[in-house]
Amino acid sequence: MPETPILAHSGVLIASIQSALSDSEILSLRSQLLARISHKSVRGVVIDVSALDVLDSFATRTLNELASGARLRGAQTVVVGIQPDVALSMVLLGLTLRDAETALDLDAALGLLESAAGRRDG
Amino acid sequence: MLTAQQLNSDFESKTEGEIKKLLSWSAIEDADVERIASIASVSEDFSDAVIQKFYDHILSFEEAADMFASESTLERVKRGQKEYFRQLTAGVYDQKYFAERKRIGQIHETAGIGPALYIGAYAFYLNQVGLELLERVGSPEEAFRLHLSLLKLAHLDMALALQTYVEARETTIEAQQREMSELPTPVLQVKAGLLLVPVVGTLDSHRARSLTIALLESIQSMRARVLVLDITGVSAVDSMVANHLLQTMTAARLMGAHSIITGISPTVAEALVKIGVDATSLNTFGDLERGFEEAERIMSAHREE
Repeated sequence: MPETPILAHSGVLIASIQSALSDSEILSLRSQLLARISHKSVRGVVIDVSALDVLDSFATRTLNELASGARLRGAQTVVVGIQPDVALSMVLLGLTLRDAETALDLDAALGLLESAAGRRDG
Repeated sequence: MLTAQQLNSDFESKTEGEIKKLLSWSAIEDADVERIASIASVSEDFSDAVIQKFYDHILSFEEAADMFASESTLERVKRGQKEYFRQLTAGVYDQKYFAERKRIGQIHETAGIGPALYIGAYAFYLNQVGLELLERVGSPEEAFRLHLSLLKLAHLDMALALQTYVEARETTIEAQQREMSELPTPVLQVKAGLLLVPVVGTLDSHRARSLTIALLESIQSMRARVLVLDITGVSAVDSMVANHLLQTMTAARLMGAHSIITGISPTVAEALVKIGVDATSLNTFGDLERGFEEAERIMSAHREE
């Protein structure tokens, strides 16, 4: 399984998860993203999960941990593309992403990060 | 032993084994069947007289008289009755017999003849048969035994008919429930990114679930950022409904949309407080206007700068 590529675009790291990740792959993605935040002036992390048809408790927890870790390093995390049935089953399982922001898609996430940056600077 | 579930299952699709069970559940033994079959010729003689008395009795009631207003209907029903009596005394209780009983039950149900009328009429009929038996069969003891055997079958008949009533009622209730739950909840786009969902009627769990799914799909297809759920038209909210609303809002949030609830009536508010729902988690606003104002605020906060 190829590693999830991480793209950087004007201070935002973008990771698009293409297929279901094993627990260790998610952990490795988390470490890589956190490592990348430190040596670039990164203000945001966007994780696209639109290709996933399930987000289990481990994945949710790891995303929450990533968001908390990123915040400590000064970056905001946005999870995008949670599918309707994935959202519903997460709610039924009591899983929430309380540390990360959510957005419909990459566009919305970038807008969200921009306005957050604007608020901070202005 | 026969389980309730077996009794409830469709009589038409009964297998031979199930029919045997049903017969033994009613304690109908070979002796009963033989006894009844032995009077087939006698019963042929008196069935006309019994049926005549039966309809004389029924027709003395206005409702029934209306139902059998036309002579041809009455004749047809009488012929059916005679055929029924022939089947009852024929001693063959197979799938066909059960299917026929069910069909008759359905006819009664459709005609609006309730269980009370049905069983009352049946009792009258059995009485007449009993009197005839007493007259025509050798000894009173034999007549009594015959009648007892007939009673077993008659009760099985009534059970089948009642089953049909219940099934018909259940079908109606199910159809109504389906209709209610299919009452569409429109998802309206007020402007780009803002959806309005007027919820009207009762939110049972089935309907709440389909509403949630419809909403989540709309968020995706209409690229919504804010949802306004107006529940002015919801008459009652219990903890289950409140929970469904919360779940919907949380799921919407996971998809990146904020939710606002408006139009909580005083009674609903009271109910929510009693249940102990935290108002802040529902993100409520008094009326639609203020809800929209808040929606605008959320949307511009994300857009500007």
